[in-house]
Amino acid sequence: MTAYLVAVGIVALIYMLLTIGLNLQYGYTGLINFGVVAFFAIGAYTAALLTLAGWSLAPAFVVAMVAAGLLAYPIGLLSLRLSDDYLAVVTLGFSEVVRLVIQQERWLTNGVQGLPGIPRIFQTLGIGEYAELATLAVLVLCNLAAIAVMLHLVRSPYGRLIQAIRDDEVAVEAIGKDPRRLKVQVFMLGSGLAGLAGAFYAHFITYLSPDQFLPLVTFYVWIAMIIGGTGRTSGAAVGSLILMVFLEGSRFARDWIPGVSEVQMASVRLALVGLALILFTIYRPQGMMGRRQ
Amino acid sequence: MSALLAATGVHKSFDGFRVLDNVSFAVPERGLTGIVGTNGAGKSTLFAVVSGQLDADSGRVSFADADIVGMPPLRRARLGLGRTFQVPREFAHLTVRENFLVAARREYGETLRSVFIGWGRVRREETRLVERADGWIDFLNLRAVADKPAGTLSGGQKKLLELGRMLMTEPRCILLDEPFAGVNPVLVEEISNRIRELNATHGIAFVIIEHHLEALKALVQHLYVMDQGRVIADGEPAAVLAEPRVLEAYMGGVI
Repeated sequence: MTAYLVAVGIVALIYMLLTIGLNLQYGYTGLINFGVVAFFAIGAYTAALLTLAGWSLAPAFVVAMVAAGLLAYPIGLLSLRLSDDYLAVVTLGFSEVVRLVIQQERWLTNGVQGLPGIPRIFQTLGIGEYAELATLAVLVLCNLAAIAVMLHLVRSPYGRLIQAIRDDEVAVEAIGKDPRRLKVQVFMLGSGLAGLAGAFYAHFITYLSPDQFLPLVTFYVWIAMIIGGTGRTSGAAVGSLILMVFLEGSRFARDWIPGVSEVQMASVRLALVGLALILFTIYRPQGMMGRRQ
Repeated sequence: MSALLAATGVHKSFDGFRVLDNVSFAVPERGLTGIVGTNGAGKSTLFAVVSGQLDADSGRVSFADADIVGMPPLRRARLGLGRTFQVPREFAHLTVRENFLVAARREYGETLRSVFIGWGRVRREETRLVERADGWIDFLNLRAVADKPAGTLSGGQKKLLELGRMLMTEPRCILLDEPFAGVNPVLVEEISNRIRELNATHGIAFVIIEHHLEALKALVQHLYVMDQGRVIADGEPAAVLAEPRVLEAYMGGVI
């Protein structure tokens, strides 16, 4: 049971990194990123390929983060020329392109067969089952660091300007400020965080295949952010924990719902998450941690 | 006297419909200029062309001896040419003070680097700017709402907030789009007085679009009247408003 809870905790914390990144992009800056999973995948594959090639984990994780951030640069530039809804479509399309490239470029990613045998985090320390607990601890530290940076950022003049961009971009230009530089930077920062989350994911699951990177992951992250409270750093943290309670809790729900098979349960789970999202938007539209307007 | 802001022969059409037809106007340094005209006369379009939200089809626009045609709005704002909007565009989720602070010119605080290093420098910059912001907040009588989200302000307060935000950018000329619309008479007088004071003590030139003729007449030195995309009269406000063709166009011939 402890091992199970640690595993669930690790996944929740990986989602938390993704949600913090998305909240920076959408919650504070208003950039609609429907392609979160693309940067998650890039981080995961970059780190996995490097460690499988003999790199040690720490530098591989850093490179994964940087790679995801850099690949966000061209998409960030696109975001300057697109209105919100088009950016949503472009990022969604980009994430599918990334998944299909991973599927097709077998020489690099081993295609649909996937990458097995990715080393576990702290595997070489010889601490056995405590390796997972240590992973959990490192993830907690990473999330705390990300949260600390966010809390400082949103109160800084930089954070004030990105929130002004979210509220009214025309007015930002009218006061002589250039929203473009900040939008690209924010897009890269958030995606870098997604890349780091991907690196953790790869070395926790130890096996990667393209079907782990469906757009569904992106929407889980969106759900976590909305439930927690868009534009609230604490909301990103709480929302991803609640999401995990729903995703994992619905596993146990099968014991009480008669006549639902394992396969059907996956669909029931999605329906339950959808229902939760609807209930939240009706009864608590500002999210768990949001202030009532 | 050379003009601070001048438009010469500006044309603008939307789908073949002439919104601006050979419009010219000039605003002297430290001038107070008004523009009146019926709805759809092209006043707000003229503002958009002058401040860069729209490009003119032809014609020249110059500010402080520089040709600014084709220059994006943010560069015009940096030159000292500011504007407010007919429908206020406040940063709704930021407080009033934060709205002012966002608009301030900064050397360091808005770089990504400043989030991670040089906090002392950011703090010093911030202290200086908060002092300036609070000065303008007091000047505009917004002290009571300084820490409230701007989205919760009344229409009149939002107009003051937009003016104050513009003042933080250290402008030489401000275009005001209907500063008195939906504002109660007492506040109209107050806003007029603030504009006079800014003009007299800070040397800021104003161009004001307004339907409130009495208030405008008492405020500006020079008045342009627009009708169907053209300037049909300009000159000393009281004299211009008494011209028969202005009465004809503006009052629709009712009076």
